[in-house]
Amino acid sequence: MEVIFVILSFFAIASALVMIYAKEPMTSALSFMVTLLSLAGLFALFSASFLFLVQIIVYAGAIITLVLLIIMFLNIQEDNLPKEPYKMRYMFISAIFVVPIDIAILKAVFVLPKNDMSIIADGFGSVKSLGMVLYKDWLLPFELISILLIVSLIGAIIFAKRKI
Amino acid sequence: MSLFEVMFTGVILFSIGIIGVISRKNIFVIYMSLELMLNAINLMFVSASRYFHSMNAQVISMMIIAISAAEAALFLSLVVLLYKRKGSLDADIFNKLAQHGDKS
Repeated sequence: MEVIFVILSFFAIASALVMIYAKEPMTSALSFMVTLLSLAGLFALFSASFLFLVQIIVYAGAIITLVLLIIMFLNIQEDNLPKEPYKMRYMFISAIFVVPIDIAILKAVFVLPKNDMSIIADGFGSVKSLGMVLYKDWLLPFELISILLIVSLIGAIIFAKRKI
Repeated sequence: MSLFEVMFTGVILFSIGIIGVISRKNIFVIYMSLELMLNAINLMFVSASRYFHSMNAQVISMMIIAISAAEAALFLSLVVLLYKRKGSLDADIFNKLAQHGDKS
């Protein structure tokens, strides 16, 4: 289990690095798909079986496929891409600013007591247990998210129309 | 495998997302870096859900997935709009959309 965790997180981090470094958007999208699939594997490792399915179906199946479709639809040539001569320099400078924040967060996590993190099989993370919590305790946020989805649907249609 | 190792992975993924947003100009890479940050938060929530043995964190992370789906629809239609008008994927052109928006 430890080995699976190390392999999956290595794949996630390595393909995320490829994603922010690659020049072509198609390379970025495909390597981001590898990141999402390895994150789905990590979700399954923490006994979140429903989120594992949602991650594969919604993220890798719908969102990244939509991104790939738009990249192919736009027919991007070499001179449509922005010129980024100082890409590596900006990356190093922003990494210098980000690393102290990371160390602060990890110090806060490090003092927590150790707990068992192995897979449990009593239905934790299944559709039934998630649905019970979702419709009992989180009903108002759930309805608000449905309103948000309708608003974004209308917004996307208005953006796509030529004249309003 | 402890909570610290999982949080370490999540924090590294989150900072890769921040670095991507700051340092790149390609609008697709910026979008995918935002999604990567949301996914890193999801990973932290799911590991915390296993650590505290509570389903609430998984519900929050499912809502984050729904929000990012809504974000994807809006963001990608904006990208198509930008590309049709300007023929470029440079994120710096976005501040000119307001000035020349009425002509086309």
